[in-house]
Amino acid sequence: MIEFDRVSYTYPGATQPALYDVSLTLPAGEFVVVAGASGTGKSTLLRCLNGLVPHFSGGTLRGSVRVFGLDPVQATPQVMSRHVGFVFQDPEAQFVMDRVEDEIAFALENAAMPPQEMRVRVEETLDLLDLAPLRDRPLETLSGGERQRVAIAAALALRPRLLVLDEPTSQLDPQSAEDVLNALVRLNADLGLTVILAEHRLERVLAYADQLLFLPGPEGSPRQAPILGDPREVLLHMAGTPPLVRLARQLDWSPLPLTVKEGLRFSRKLPTPTAAKPAAQASPAREASPLVAARQVEARYGDTAAVRRVEFALRPGEIVVVMGRNGSGKTTLLKLLVGLVRPAAGHVLVQGRDSAHMDVAEICRTVGYLPQDPNSLLFADTVADELGITLRNHGMETADAPRGLLADLGLGHLAGAYPRDLSVGERQRAALAAVTVVQPAALLLDEPTRGLDYGAKAQLTELLTRWRAAGMGIAVVTHDVELAAAIADRVVLMSQGEIIAQGRPAAVLGASPLFAPQIARLFPGTGWLTPSDVSAATTNGA
Amino acid sequence: MAAATVREPRSESSRIHGLAWLAWLVAVLTLTTLTRNPWYLGLMLTWLAVVDAVARRQPVTGRTAQLWSPLRFGLFVVPIAALFNGATVHVGATVLARLPQSWPLLGGPVTLEAFVYGGLNGLALTGIFAAFTVVNRMLPVREIIQLIPRAYYPVAVVAAIALTFVPVTLVQLRQIREAQAVRGHRLAGVRSWLPLWLPLLTGGLERALQLAEAMTARGFAAGDDAPDGWTRVAALVGLPLALAGLLLRTVWAQGALGLVLLVTGTGLVVVAIVVAGRRHPHTRYRPAAWQLHDWVVTGSALAAAGLWALPLALPEQATLAFSPYPRLLLPGFGPVMGMATWALLAPVVVWLAAPAR
Repeated sequence: MIEFDRVSYTYPGATQPALYDVSLTLPAGEFVVVAGASGTGKSTLLRCLNGLVPHFSGGTLRGSVRVFGLDPVQATPQVMSRHVGFVFQDPEAQFVMDRVEDEIAFALENAAMPPQEMRVRVEETLDLLDLAPLRDRPLETLSGGERQRVAIAAALALRPRLLVLDEPTSQLDPQSAEDVLNALVRLNADLGLTVILAEHRLERVLAYADQLLFLPGPEGSPRQAPILGDPREVLLHMAGTPPLVRLARQLDWSPLPLTVKEGLRFSRKLPTPTAAKPAAQASPAREASPLVAARQVEARYGDTAAVRRVEFALRPGEIVVVMGRNGSGKTTLLKLLVGLVRPAAGHVLVQGRDSAHMDVAEICRTVGYLPQDPNSLLFADTVADELGITLRNHGMETADAPRGLLADLGLGHLAGAYPRDLSVGERQRAALAAVTVVQPAALLLDEPTRGLDYGAKAQLTELLTRWRAAGMGIAVVTHDVELAAAIADRVVLMSQGEIIAQGRPAAVLGASPLFAPQIARLFPGTGWLTPSDVSAATTNGA
Repeated sequence: MAAATVREPRSESSRIHGLAWLAWLVAVLTLTTLTRNPWYLGLMLTWLAVVDAVARRQPVTGRTAQLWSPLRFGLFVVPIAALFNGATVHVGATVLARLPQSWPLLGGPVTLEAFVYGGLNGLALTGIFAAFTVVNRMLPVREIIQLIPRAYYPVAVVAAIALTFVPVTLVQLRQIREAQAVRGHRLAGVRSWLPLWLPLLTGGLERALQLAEAMTARGFAAGDDAPDGWTRVAALVGLPLALAGLLLRTVWAQGALGLVLLVTGTGLVVVAIVVAGRRHPHTRYRPAAWQLHDWVVTGSALAAAGLWALPLALPEQATLAFSPYPRLLLPGFGPVMGMATWALLAPVVVWLAAPAR
C-alpha cells in the first residue's frame, strides 16, 4: 500500500516545485505504469518512494509519503532499500562490481547476511531473471538489455516488496526492451511483486498495466493533479499516446483497444478499399545528383566485416530511414558517409568528390552528423556558445545564423542556458543546432528518438519535414518504426552489413512481421502506416 | 535449508588468492626499489614477460581493458627516462658532449653514466607496470575489496569502482573525439584538447553521481561506517607515537625509548583498525579459498624478498648496490640473488601445473 498525501517537493535552488500537492493511493501487487512528458515530475515521484528524494537530492519536501507503513523520509534510503528496489535508466552507471554474481551479492554483503543464506539467495535471484548462463561474465561484455536485467536482479536480491523502475528501457533497442519488460511482467504475475514503471514507449506496456498514472502538464509545469486509474480511462486524457490509441480515439472505438489484437476487432469492421493507394508523399527528383553516396563500400572492425559491398545514395529533398538489428552495420554506414570510418574498399562520394582525401571536418561542412549520445558534443557554457564554437572550428565568422536557427528549433528562449542542464529533448536539439549551424546540405542522424517522449518526437518529426521541404537530404538510423512510418520517403533494411531491402515505406514496412507499425498491422494490405493515412483515406474515399 | 557444501568448479583450482598476488607484488617492488643492477633488472623483466605471456592464455578473471601493453610502455618510458636523466644530471666520468654552462638546467657535461642510470630507472618502472598489468588481469574486483581491511570498506569499494570506471572512460573518450570531429574540430595545439577533456570530465562526474544514487538506493551509505570517537582518537595518537619512536631510534639513537614508542604507536593503530572493522559487520560472499599453490607463491615471493632486503651477511648482496656513477663499469652478478628472481615465475608454475579443463 503506497500513499502520497499532499506531497510537494522543490529541488534545491529551483524556482518552481517539481511536485505540487500530489495525493494518491496505489494498492499492493499491481503493475503500475507512470506516463507523462519530460519534466513533469515522474522521476521525482518515483524517487520519493525510497527516500532518495529528499535524502540524496536535498530540497524541501512537504506532505507525507507512506510505503508499506514506512515513512521513507524518516527511514533513510538505507532502510528503505530492503523494501523498495530501484532500477535506473542508464545500464552503464549502476554497477559497483565487475561480475554478475558479485553485483547481486553486493547488497547482501552490506546487509551482513550469513554466507550460506547468501549463496542460496543469489542462486534464486539468478534463476528469477534467467541470468544463470551469464553468471561469470564480466559486466562490460553484456548487452544493454542483459545489464538492465542484472540491475533488476541486484535490486531484488534483498527481496523487496516493491520494485520501482525509472525508464529502464529508454536506452535499449526493441528486442532488449522486450526481454526486460517480459521479465517484469513475470515477476509481477508469479511473485505478486508490486511494480511501478515510468515509461515513454507505452505501446509495449499498456497491455500489462493494471493502473496508469498520468502526470499532466507541459514540460516544467506540474500544477495539475495527476490522474490515476484504469489505463483505458486515463488514456482518454492524454495527448501523447501510441498511434493505435490515437486512431481509436479519433474513430471513437470503445472500449479503448490497447493492443493490436484488440484493435483488430474494430479495424476488421471498417470498409477498406481493396486496391489501396498509399498516401502520396512528395517523391524526390530521381534525377538530382546525390549529396552523399557510398559505392561498393566495405568496412572492417578488426577481422569482422561490418559493412559489405553497400551501394547507398542520399539525394536532396528526401528522408531515408535505415533500420535493422543491432550490429547490422547501420551506424557504421553513417560513419562511413561522414568520414569517421574509412572504407577498406569502395568509395564514398560527397557532392560528387571522393572523400578519401577530405578530413572529417571538411566533410562535415557539407554533411552534418548527429551522434547517438549528444552529451559527447556539448561542453560550452551556453547554447549560443556551442553554435559559436562550431562556426569557429569551420573558420566561418559568427554571423546572425545562430539566432534564427535556435528559434527554428524551439530553443530561442534557451540561448543562454547551460546545455547539460536541459532536458533530453532540448539537449538533443541543442546538439542538432551545433551541427547544423553551418547549414549542411545533408544531415545524418543516429538514433535520434532514444529517450524522447511523444511531444518531443512530434517536434523532431515536424522539424525534419520542414528541412526536407527546404531541400535538405536527411538519413536517419533508428529502431523506432512509428518514426519511420511518419517521415520516411524511402526505407533501407540492413542485416549483417548488407542492404537486404530498399523501397517505399509502405512496401518495406507494411508487410514485415517485425517492422510493421501498429496501423499497418491493423489494416494489412492497405499500405496505411499512420493514423493520418487512415483519416486521409477514409475522408477522401468515403 | 540444509547447508550444502560448496564445491568449486574445476577452473577455480588454478586461481591464485589475492594475498598471494600481494606477496608476489611485494617481491617485485622490493627488487625494483633495492637495485639498479642491469643483470637483475633484466632477469626480472624476462620472467615478468613470461608471466604476462602465460597470463594472457588464462581465462580473464579481472579486467580485460588495458591501456598499454608492458612492452609498449617500456619502449616509451625507457628512452624518455634515459634522455631526461642524461640531459639534466651532469655527473659521471664518460663525457659525451658539453652543453653551455649558462643554460639553466641543461648546461654542463652530458655523460653516458647519466643516460644509463635514466635507462635503468625506466626499466624498473616497466617492471612495476608489467607486474600490475598481470595482477589487474587476474584479480576480480571482489578479491581486491577482500584484501583491504574491513574498517576501510568504503575506501575499498571506491577503489573497486575506479577500476571499472577506467574502461568505460576510454570508450567515452573515443565517442567524444568522434563527436567533436563531426563539428569541425581538428587536433592542433594544446588548446584544442579542451573540447575533449571537458565533456569527458563532465560526463565522468555525471556518471559518478548516477552511480552514487544507485548505490544509495541499494543500501550502501557511507557515513555510518565511520569509526566512533575512541577508535579515531586511538588512530590519531598512535600514528605520531609510532613516528616519534622511529625517529628516536634512527636519528637520535635512543634505542630503548624509541622501541617502546614505536611498538605502542603501532599497536594502537592496529587495534583501532580492527575495532573499527568489527563495528559494522559485512559478510563475504564466496571468499576465495586458500590453496596449496598459494603457499608456494607466497612462500617463494617472501623468501626472495627477504633474501634481497634483509641484512644477511652474504657477499653477493653488494652486487645489488650497483651504480653507474662515477664511472660505468661492468656490473657484478651474484648467482644466488639471480636465482631468487625465479620466485617471480611461481604463478606460471601454478598455471601450467593445473589440470587441463
